[in-house]
Amino acid sequence: MMGRPFIHRSPMPGLGLSMGITLTMLSIVVLLPIGALLLKGASYGPAGIWETVNRERVWAALFLSFRLSLFAALFNLVFGVALAWVLVRYRFPGRRILDAAVDLPFALPTAVAGIALTALYAPNGAFGRLAALIGWKIAYTQWGIFIALVFVGLPFVTRTVQPVVEEIEREVEEASATLGASRLHTVRHIILPMLAPAALTGFALSLARAVGEYGSVIFIAGNIPMVTEIAPLLIIIRLEEFNYDAAAAIGIAMLLISFLMLLVINLIQVWSRRRIGDV
Amino acid sequence: MSDTSLARKPARFRPATEESPAARRALIGVAFLGLGILAFAPLIAVFAEALADGIAASLRSLASPDARAAIRLTLTIAAISVPLNAIFGIAAAWFITKFDFRGKAFLITLIDLPFSVSPVVAGLCIMLMFGTNGLAGGWLATMGYPIVFAIPGIILATLFVTFPFVARELIPVMIEQGRSEEEAALTLGASGWRIFRTVTLPNIRWALLYGVLLCSARAMGEFGAVAVVSGKIRGQTATMPITIEMLYQEYLPVAAFSLAAVLALLALVTLLLKTVLEIRHADQLAATLRR
Amino acid sequence: MHIEIDEISKQFGTTAALHPVSLSLPSGALVALLGPSGSGKTTLLRILGGLEFPSSGRVLLDGQDATGLTVQERRAGFVFQSYALFRHMTVFDNIAYGLNARPRASRPPKAEIARRVTRLLELIQLPDIGARYPGQLSGGQRQRVALARALAIEPRMLLLDEPFGALDAKIRKELRQGLRDIHDTTGLTTIFVTHDQEEAMGLADLVVVMSMGRIEQIGKPQDIRSRPATPFVREFITA
Repeated sequence: MMGRPFIHRSPMPGLGLSMGITLTMLSIVVLLPIGALLLKGASYGPAGIWETVNRERVWAALFLSFRLSLFAALFNLVFGVALAWVLVRYRFPGRRILDAAVDLPFALPTAVAGIALTALYAPNGAFGRLAALIGWKIAYTQWGIFIALVFVGLPFVTRTVQPVVEEIEREVEEASATLGASRLHTVRHIILPMLAPAALTGFALSLARAVGEYGSVIFIAGNIPMVTEIAPLLIIIRLEEFNYDAAAAIGIAMLLISFLMLLVINLIQVWSRRRIGDV
Repeated sequence: MSDTSLARKPARFRPATEESPAARRALIGVAFLGLGILAFAPLIAVFAEALADGIAASLRSLASPDARAAIRLTLTIAAISVPLNAIFGIAAAWFITKFDFRGKAFLITLIDLPFSVSPVVAGLCIMLMFGTNGLAGGWLATMGYPIVFAIPGIILATLFVTFPFVARELIPVMIEQGRSEEEAALTLGASGWRIFRTVTLPNIRWALLYGVLLCSARAMGEFGAVAVVSGKIRGQTATMPITIEMLYQEYLPVAAFSLAAVLALLALVTLLLKTVLEIRHADQLAATLRR
Repeated sequence: MHIEIDEISKQFGTTAALHPVSLSLPSGALVALLGPSGSGKTTLLRILGGLEFPSSGRVLLDGQDATGLTVQERRAGFVFQSYALFRHMTVFDNIAYGLNARPRASRPPKAEIARRVTRLLELIQLPDIGARYPGQLSGGQRQRVALARALAIEPRMLLLDEPFGALDAKIRKELRQGLRDIHDTTGLTTIFVTHDQEEAMGLADLVVVMSMGRIEQIGKPQDIRSRPATPFVREFITA
């Protein structure tokens, strides 16, 4: 039946052990739990999931999470590309520290980031006071959620774009200039299109991270149903009410969004590889 | 030398690959401003709030039984889950890079999967599998092994969210290095374990350390997934991040921020070590530093 | 275009890439800058193209001081050793790039651009590849596209950095003739850099032999061959 063997014979030792550890741990830690969620969803049926999700409060939470994540990821797209450019192309005092600081959102626990951002942007906080001068309320509004999501998504675009900036051949930029293009024209028509696939990948990663983010958001959000209540929080609330079915339904909706974004990331990569190839 | 032969460098000349000095300065300014507001300010805020009542108050709150229990628990969790994760990462990288089999790309996708799942959903999944009402949890609990609302559940949640860290760093490095060194050792009659210890490990040690470092940072800081499965029992299943949340909700900001400052210090050490690794051993780390 | 290089020198830090060199190239000539690597030939070419600024000296184009002109103003068709094609653009868009990059006022209309690109594709004898991406072309095809792209801006001179360096021997011969034909058709002053003495001798009207940042000899190929001016030249052309 099978055209080729499932595993090629190899003199390399350790096949059984490495395969055993890999598959066992993958199953226990990842596959069985996700399977349990999907099974719950299956027992529930699409109609059942729809019934739970199709409530105003759930929609509001999912829509809020997705919308603000999109805005935050867009902000990170622009800022992240600029930052990657600055870090790779320019030499200035403090560059290494800036470069290391990009990873801070990866290293700083989300709960720590959450209370720190709240302390800064609350009406009596350092930035909150400034904003209050012009009547702008940040913490406990959607602005606060936006800022927290920008924070957690900060590294993705920069870290995916940086290696690509490093690889741009100087000759390509020079060619553009010899053909009469101004620097701005070169940036817009040569450099940015070359960075686009990596930037889009980073954008999608940042978006995926933001949609699922919980720890850094809940402190600053205010968590008012329909207004500043994010989808992951709603899952926690349902779980605390022991309403596992509702929690699972929202969880499946979020899982589907994640899978969709994973698919988009892969499609971007396939598309850019096919189009640009390797020259 | 006559004056005409000296080309006066016109002010506007600049290499074709550079932006104007004004654009440069503006971009560098944006970078400092952006990271200043987004990264440095929160970091400073943590320490400022922790020391709001002086260092003595801060240290006193860290010495409280709850805080000490939280620190102990978080270290325990990390001490168990990080080595497990490293073992998995090494095994997965060995399996994936030393053998040819069908569905390899799919397996890698599955290993990466936890990165794209919300930590809260991860916690929910563990709850549905191992919770008392879950598929296996009820049976395990009656056998005397409660998982959820206990340490094993927190470890599972931590493993889930950190799952790809080590494997992801090792796989690209091991692909790059190929199999020839191991094959050579094999022809010389070395045993499998000996090959791993004397040939493979020296080649991947920095990448392994890098992965372990990132994994530890995340393991000690995980909040969302742990919040779901821990049950938040003070002194028993409240990790440092969970305790921070509880203290903060109880309007004990100095206590909350003091504990947060400990985690922030750990994060800074992580970043420092990571930067040192990237500078010293860049050639032995995965080319893409993307996570 | 008559090109005059007047006492041009270039320092990179403390090392001198070019000692003051002077050179007068008649309009319409096909010139080879010949020398081993590190002889300063590419630096000289890049100074002509406006990609480097000389440490001292002047570049005169038809008697006008062009030293201070930016790359963009210089309008030199430059073909890079790596070709530096824009790989996210089709061949058509690559060739049209210089025309599209002009400010709106001096930009030709779309139909005119298309007409010119088509004509250039015919000139390089690849009329059917406009819709392809550089990644889908062979090395020889890429080189010709890079040439067409440089010609599209109606350059005042054509500068080529090791134009045949990345190609295998058989294609080199073909493309050599191609460059000769294009030079004869356009009548542009053409300067190419090479380290291959056979290529320089076989193709150029005028050969400039360089070594260690200095010009060793300037002359017609047969003169250089029959009367090498320095021991270096004698050794280099017989090697």
